[in-house]
Amino acid sequence: MTGNATILVAVILFSIVLIAWLVLRPSITATRGGKMLAFVALLIFPVLSGGMGVNRHIEHSKTTNFCLSCHVMEDYGKSLRVDDRSFVPATHFQYNLVPRDQACYTCHTDYTMYGDVSAKLRGLKHVYAYYLGRPSQPIKLYQPYNNRECLHCHLGARGFEESEAHTKDPQTLSRIKANQLSCSTTECHNIIHNVGQLKEATFWKEQAK
Amino acid sequence: MKTQSTKIERRIRLAGMLLIAGLLVELVTLRWSHPTAFLFFLLIGGALMALGIAIYLLSLVSAENKPSLE
Repeated sequence: MTGNATILVAVILFSIVLIAWLVLRPSITATRGGKMLAFVALLIFPVLSGGMGVNRHIEHSKTTNFCLSCHVMEDYGKSLRVDDRSFVPATHFQYNLVPRDQACYTCHTDYTMYGDVSAKLRGLKHVYAYYLGRPSQPIKLYQPYNNRECLHCHLGARGFEESEAHTKDPQTLSRIKANQLSCSTTECHNIIHNVGQLKEATFWKEQAK
Repeated sequence: MKTQSTKIERRIRLAGMLLIAGLLVELVTLRWSHPTAFLFFLLIGGALMALGIAIYLLSLVSAENKPSLE
């Protein structure tokens, strides 16, 4: 358990103890001190616990384990361990080009002002589809993958700016940056999760540290 | 005075029990790593806590509005 989670659990338990005291002896609220205690126990601490809980859940929802906890995502999780550098997500995951504990979120959130919020709202739709609807098979993106999400990290990097494939035609870089030439749907980086090919794939086994 | 106190006490007790239930839901969902946990926390835990807080605030308002029987 991380430090923040420990603090949150401590706040919740402390709140429960305070509230339980009031539930067992509500007559103490007749005194001035009791009224103040009730205000803290029944309003301040629950609001604090709830706010911290929302924050904790949102942070947790960014983790790779969280995304892969749904059965439909299993193959996408496996695709991160394919031993083939042409698989874009696998390379990013295995070579630490994205944080491994937030691999899904790093590439599948919009790097816009409300990107996090829209990602979470989409997540709620996914939970609805998971339990009450039928998730599409194979899973599809809502819209073509925007280069902005790649450029969030790659823009300005030497490997991106000076790559022979990117500089051979002087128009290529500017078209990529303007999202007119897709990184992923052109023939350059078009092997993404490709879960249909996993049966033939070999997988990378992480060495024990 | 006694009737008034009893009513407030009942509301505080009810608010407290709802809040404890909401906080327990929060505690359980924190240990569960699945999107459903987030929904349970928001829909069940959040509703219980919101209701508990609302009943507590209502007890304050009703106590203010009613004249003291003393």
